[in-house]
Amino acid sequence: MSRRAIVQSPEHVLIELVPAGLGARLAAFLLDMALIAGILQLIALVAVALPQALRDIAVVTASFVVIWGYNTFFEVRWNGQTPGKRILRIRVVDGRGLPVDTPQSLIRNVVRLLDLFPAGGVGALAALLDGRNRRLGDLAADTLVVVETQPALPAIEALAARRFNSLRTPRVRRYVEHRIGIEERELLFTVCLRAPGLSDRARFELFEQLGAHYRAELGIDDPNLSGESLVRGLAAMCAGGKEEPAQAAKST
Amino acid sequence: MTALARFIEERRPRWNRLETLLEEAQESETRLGPERLQELVLLYRSACTDLNRARTLTANPELIGGLNQLIGRAYRIVYRRRRSGRIDLKRFFLREVPATFHRRSRWFSLAAAALLAGAAVGFAAVIVNPAYAAALIPGQFFVERPAARVEHAEKGNERIESLRDATAFGAYLYTHNIQVSFLTFALGALSFAGGIVLLFYNGLILGAVAAQYLIDGAGTFFVAWVGPHGALEIPAIVFAGAAGLLSGNALLMPGETGRVAALRDAFPAVFRILCACAVLLVCAGLIEGSFSQMSARSVPYAVKIAVAAALFAAMCTWLFGRRDEGA
Repeated sequence: MSRRAIVQSPEHVLIELVPAGLGARLAAFLLDMALIAGILQLIALVAVALPQALRDIAVVTASFVVIWGYNTFFEVRWNGQTPGKRILRIRVVDGRGLPVDTPQSLIRNVVRLLDLFPAGGVGALAALLDGRNRRLGDLAADTLVVVETQPALPAIEALAARRFNSLRTPRVRRYVEHRIGIEERELLFTVCLRAPGLSDRARFELFEQLGAHYRAELGIDDPNLSGESLVRGLAAMCAGGKEEPAQAAKST
Repeated sequence: MTALARFIEERRPRWNRLETLLEEAQESETRLGPERLQELVLLYRSACTDLNRARTLTANPELIGGLNQLIGRAYRIVYRRRRSGRIDLKRFFLREVPATFHRRSRWFSLAAAALLAGAAVGFAAVIVNPAYAAALIPGQFFVERPAARVEHAEKGNERIESLRDATAFGAYLYTHNIQVSFLTFALGALSFAGGIVLLFYNGLILGAVAAQYLIDGAGTFFVAWVGPHGALEIPAIVFAGAAGLLSGNALLMPGETGRVAALRDAFPAVFRILCACAVLLVCAGLIEGSFSQMSARSVPYAVKIAVAAALFAAMCTWLFGRRDEGA
């Protein structure tokens, strides 16, 4: 993953900022535009109640303030989000991972004038070329837009809870404890966690391939043990499933 | 190997609690109240440790990514700068803005020099050969015979007949001019040279138009017409250009302190200068929509020129008048 920014917090923790994609940003922008258009309509409606001499100046000024102030107002009040950004779950943050402040927000939204030039082409091009998807306004204000979606924490306990595990023999346990390193363990977990998302054919082939490797390593030649059962069994042992009385399918 | 599973099992309730608090704190951290805010800080600290620990235990992208996101969100709340309760407008405009103008004066000199150089070139070119006027002045400002326009303006009806016309025109002018100042700023902030070129070009048009009126014997009319609002409007564009140059300098030529620090140093100054520009341009727009358009029959030229001089002097006193304390 190249498009990442890393900041170091005072606790000496490296925090990765994951830049938002152009699609999400465009969608948020269009939502905000729609909202602004709605507010402008509302202003025009309300202004009818004003005396003639003030009507035009009130409408022009209020519209101007809404068009230029909307983004900055929300980005400062809502800690980097506008209504559109909130719906798309993205957020503007300072280049150091902190909240944006008023001058930064104003600058990035003023420079939008250039980013929107020919139909947003300049901003989109800048974001494509930049390593952190920053448009020109973000460069001038040292900000970036990050994703806020929460990747689900892995359900490793679910993997561990495998009731009938024919692999719980001392020999296999020794193999798991001494031969399977961190990365290999991650491979096993990831394969098991992502298997439901694979097509049946790919899932079968992947597990058979991995299974063949472990079959050879462990010297198992039980034709009834599928590749998937073998790999899931090993993953369960890696995840440290509780000692279930393995009543059925004892292999020894 | 149970360490990882036990670790996750043990810590997950805390992470979930932190996430709940973050959801609640999304709009404003004050909503949480002191106790839960303190809890959030503690949970954040412990999650930081957890992330470091997790990085040694595993390379699982979901676990590390999830924790990382959680900590990133908490970081933005824990290290958020305190917002001052209310904004002191008087202090902002009477102390902070002038202090910024004082401290950053070299950028104003540079921006003014660019505009004046443009004006000199435009003026000289049209004096030397009046035919250049058509080439230098964009179509919407170009008039073949300024004297005819002056005659029309002075003999015909008043251009602005009602308060409604004046306010509507004024509002149009200042919103337009503020956008022009934003553009000047943005070009300078990104390319530095772009800001200088735009200032030079604006000066060029101004100089060429002035020369054209002077040749046609309408010099006094021009000063009386452009002066009252130009006294504020032209400096405001120069200021916006200066803000752009100062920001562009931090972005492109940050020097030894590095870009991040240079930009952080420039931001408050840019903000203050742009706020001052907006105020000046609103005043200028309202004047341009009414007073500037009045013919000599209602307001003699001398009065208009005097008003222009007074406005310019007032602005200079506000922004460049000596202050005791610097900021």
